[in-house]
Amino acid sequence: MKNFGHLLIKEIKELINKQLIISLVLMLLIFSFIGNVTKKEMKKAIARQKIAVLDLDQSELSKDLIGALNMANFIIEEQAGEKEDVIKKLQMTDLGLLVVIPSGFSQEVSNFKPVEVETYSYLRGISISGSRTSEVVKALLNTTNDFLSNQYLKKRLPDINPAEIKSPIKNREFILVKERMAQGSSAAVIGTLYAQSYLLPIILMMIIMYSSQMVITAIAMEKQNKTLETLLTVPISRQAIAMAKMLAAGLVGLLSAAIYLYGFKMAFSFPTEELSSVTGGLAPILKQLGLTIDTQDYALFGLSLFLAILCALSIATILGVLAEDYRTAQSLNIPLVFLVLVPYFISLFADINTMSLPAKILVLAIPFSHPFFAMQNMMFGHMQMFWLGLVYNFVFVAVMLIWTARIFATDRVLTMKLKWRRKKIVL
Amino acid sequence: MTPVLEVESLKKNYGQLPALKGISFKVDQGEIFGLIGPNGAGKTTTLRIIATLLTPSDGRVSFLGFDLKKDPEKFREKISYLPEEAGAYRNMKGLDYLEFMARFYANNGVELKEYISRGEQISDLGARLKDKVGTYSKGMTRKLLLGRALMTKPALAILDEPTSGLDVINSLEVRETIKSFVKQGISVLLSSHNMLEVEFLSDRVALIDQGQILDAGSPQELKEKYQAPNLEIVFKSCVRSNS
Repeated sequence: MKNFGHLLIKEIKELINKQLIISLVLMLLIFSFIGNVTKKEMKKAIARQKIAVLDLDQSELSKDLIGALNMANFIIEEQAGEKEDVIKKLQMTDLGLLVVIPSGFSQEVSNFKPVEVETYSYLRGISISGSRTSEVVKALLNTTNDFLSNQYLKKRLPDINPAEIKSPIKNREFILVKERMAQGSSAAVIGTLYAQSYLLPIILMMIIMYSSQMVITAIAMEKQNKTLETLLTVPISRQAIAMAKMLAAGLVGLLSAAIYLYGFKMAFSFPTEELSSVTGGLAPILKQLGLTIDTQDYALFGLSLFLAILCALSIATILGVLAEDYRTAQSLNIPLVFLVLVPYFISLFADINTMSLPAKILVLAIPFSHPFFAMQNMMFGHMQMFWLGLVYNFVFVAVMLIWTARIFATDRVLTMKLKWRRKKIVL
Repeated sequence: MTPVLEVESLKKNYGQLPALKGISFKVDQGEIFGLIGPNGAGKTTTLRIIATLLTPSDGRVSFLGFDLKKDPEKFREKISYLPEEAGAYRNMKGLDYLEFMARFYANNGVELKEYISRGEQISDLGARLKDKVGTYSKGMTRKLLLGRALMTKPALAILDEPTSGLDVINSLEVRETIKSFVKQGISVLLSSHNMLEVEFLSDRVALIDQGQILDAGSPQELKEKYQAPNLEIVFKSCVRSNS
């Protein structure tokens, strides 16, 4: 045990080297820069939109419309002069949208005839705030139409609230999860669950990829630097050597993933005030539906993740033994990366429970898949699938660890190589 | 003399290829035993088996009464192996490397200090021990590794081509170090294709070719037997008479 701790410290020190620290710091700086730029753009997009309005009608109704736009969260900059001149003049400003209220606007409205309000969008690049222009036009038209239709209805039916005529059907929405039911918006519930868990697959992918990469590299570097032979002749069991490498890689992988995640969150997390108020309102609904996660669920999820990491590390250890040097190690990690990407993309874009049986079996045969779907399985009561996944990963880890221990206990740790040209394993 | 190591009918096959065809020899306490032969003769395979890196296909190896197949852990506690193309951890300082390796063998702090101090003395790298191994020349790395191999005073030091890649001066220094350490009671099993080096170092030698020991004895005995001025000529005559 004394020697194991001693070896483990050496492995961790070898992994946390200058290159790793520099790459992590650089990554944090890059994420921080991306975050600042993105947040500025987001703020611009969320802020009250400034629009230019050219009122060629100058009627009471057109002024009321401008007032309605103002009330609907637009900042109005009124323009004067000829339309063509105003269009040209605005090219020189940072305004993104011009609304032209034609002359005769009030007259046409009074005669219940459709009116054409022209909008001019100024595209000055590709950015989040730029892409918002079409949304602004849509919101503007909705506000204008709403305003005008209210005017019509008030004239014709002065005693009735226009909103009641325009939306005579009210909706009471109910959500069902298994035998539980609650009143609320399914879109809001799904949106909240997604917002709470969208980082989870990224964390899982990073931890698994990092850890496996590190253990493959650690073993390959021992071979490349000709230190493995010496290490294998010191008085410590071969299993302890393999375990020290796996544990060190797992710990450093976790640390790197945590730092990456922090950077990622820094760059891509958006203002959460509104989101939290929505979540706060939905909390009782989520609880009623059993869609909340308690300590026991977190513990079970942790167990699933731990077993998946052990699966990845045990596969990576064997791949590391096959690698002759650092370069080969990099190539050998590629199949593992693909295996992690499969459940990652499926968890983002598909529902494992609705997939065909053969596809489902293929995905679940990948041991890293199970933690990707564990949270969803627990929340939606697919506990049988969760437990089966856990047992599968446990058996997989046991078999792989026995295999790894056997390889390390024999000549194969030195003689096993993957020969690319012959495309076969030479033992 | 009591043999510390006994090798009997040792065989090793790599797939269909026989690397060792049943070799036998003994190493006595305080003795330097040299295996000499050309590249591919089976020297390194023999040393790797005794160092517990490879498992024999057949035969028996016993060391201080322990059987290699049954007690490889006991072997590792008492032996020290210097591979031909060994390296040290490039990101470690020389002194840290010695400490890292010494910790596997030391039972307490006093032993640890003693091992490190001996390692410093053997490697003879002075202030450069405080530099990272990655900055060392090949000769310096080899001296550090020799320090590592001998610092724990192993019952048997297994040295594969100990002066491999070293210049004349460094080779001489390494040979002197090995000689002086044997006087302290440790046994050495070494291999080299440099027969003059083995002649200078070894008390007894075994001539090995194509996985078989052709002859064994002290350098003087062999030279007299084959009426040759040095071991190179002995080896040539021996190969000719066996073919």
